[in-house]
Amino acid sequence: MKKLAGKIAVITGGSSGIGLATAKRFVAEGAHVVMTGRREKELNEAAALIRDNVTTVVGDVARLDDLDRLYTVVKEKHGHIDILFANAGAGTIAPLAAATEAHFDQTFDVNVKGLFFTVQKALPLFRDGGSIILTSSVSNVMGLPGFSAYAASKAAVRNFARAWTLELKDRKIRVNSMSPRTDRDPRFGDDDGPHS
Amino acid sequence: MTRLNGKTAVITGGATGIGLASAKRFIAEGAFVFIYGRRQAALDAAVAELGPNARAVKGSVSNEVDLDRLYAAVKAERGSLDIVFANAGAGSPLPLGQITAEHIDEAFDTNVKGTIFTVQKALPLMGPGGSIILTGSSAGTTGAPGFTAYSASKAAVRNLARSWAEDLKGTGIRVNVLSPGATATELAKQALGEAGQKAYGAMTPLQRMADPAEIAAVAAFLASPDSSFMTASEVAVDGGLAQL
Ligand SMILES: NC(=O)c1ccc[n+]([C@@H]2O[C@H](COP(=O)([O-])OP(=O)(O)OC[C@H]3O[C@@H](n4cnc5c(N)ncnc54)[C@H](OP(=O)(O)O)[C@@H]3O)[C@@H](O)[C@H]2O)c1
Repeated sequence: MKKLAGKIAVITGGSSGIGLATAKRFVAEGAHVVMTGRREKELNEAAALIRDNVTTVVGDVARLDDLDRLYTVVKEKHGHIDILFANAGAGTIAPLAAATEAHFDQTFDVNVKGLFFTVQKALPLFRDGGSIILTSSVSNVMGLPGFSAYAASKAAVRNFARAWTLELKDRKIRVNSMSPRTDRDPRFGDDDGPHS
Repeated sequence: MTRLNGKTAVITGGATGIGLASAKRFIAEGAFVFIYGRRQAALDAAVAELGPNARAVKGSVSNEVDLDRLYAAVKAERGSLDIVFANAGAGSPLPLGQITAEHIDEAFDTNVKGTIFTVQKALPLMGPGGSIILTGSSAGTTGAPGFTAYSASKAAVRNLARSWAEDLKGTGIRVNVLSPGATATELAKQALGEAGQKAYGAMTPLQRMADPAEIAAVAAFLASPDSSFMTASEVAVDGGLAQL
């Protein structure tokens, strides 16, 4: 199965979890992956697991300068992008009554603003006919105590796919949002209540 | 591609359209496929095209005796069953004000009752790793002129997967709904006409109707272990038609 032979894919949040598993699979199916994450050590360890056809760029999707650096590397190395998996996400659990401004900002800066500019800044390099995948969450349509900022940010992501589908249709770039529920995300430990 | 190596599949409505495209794809990925439908000529033509890993059984999904014959044939030749694609569907448009009991029965007997018995009667042959796929439709979440019976029946199909995911807990059998948008098949031609098909293509964000092979690709994904963490889901393959 070499469905992605020769494709250039960018994956944000590639150090662990869904991003890392996806990077492995994309490479196994023939793609070259450029992946990004904030933690250099974890990112390098992830790349070592994948071995071939992977490039790493350390960076934070919430910082526009870091995104510019990411895409500069992609441009120099490959010249274009076929697939973007905007997967980096963050979120802590905080009940409404106790949530701080920092909690709210961190969640929305990464999941909403970061994802918005991850996609916007990729567009000049995108090949017409490419595919953009956004990681939302099952929580985008659920009420979960303590998850209000996180779930609302993921609802925003789901909705981005609607407008962007229309904005990018003339370039035949497809946009889809994927809503996983995973119990293997190290952010949430093994068994500590609702997962998202 | 051999994701379905050694698997046995039943595809109702498998002689034409989305069902036939899926039979081709399943066989290309390694499966042995039984197609089922009411028209012998269509079944014969399909089997001739599909080759040695296909069998046809003639019958209606709204006839329980016919379904028993289908599964008896599967049991006799293969012993067990891995994949059921309950895809047979029917329906024609009729505006509110002109609806008859026969019109309602046409859609519900095939799409709802037919789907229920297609699946229920398959279960004794299925086990862990099994995958059930139901054909919904973008019409199940949208309204369209004259679509009372068809849309309501497809909304019902979407819901079947929810209760069944509960009923099938512990069996290792997954059930999901695949909801196509406007797809270039005989059914679309009959229900929408030439002008209607053009209009649906234009309404779709991807600006065209689907080729049945594009629906088949997702059916193969849902049939295979690649979708091993999916059950009770609805997967829209509609070019964005019902997603905005
Ligand atoms: N084309 C679209 O735009 C579209 C969009 C959304 C959903 N769908 C759904 O996709 C599925 C396949 O349709 P299609 O587009 O591929 O059209 P199609 O080529 O007309 O396929 C329908 C198939 O169902 C079979 N069938 C109908 N009633 C049956 C019955 N009572 N028992 C057994 N088989 C029966 C037909 O065969 P016989 O007549 O020989 O029995 C035929 O092979 C249907 O469920 C349809 O509702 C289609």
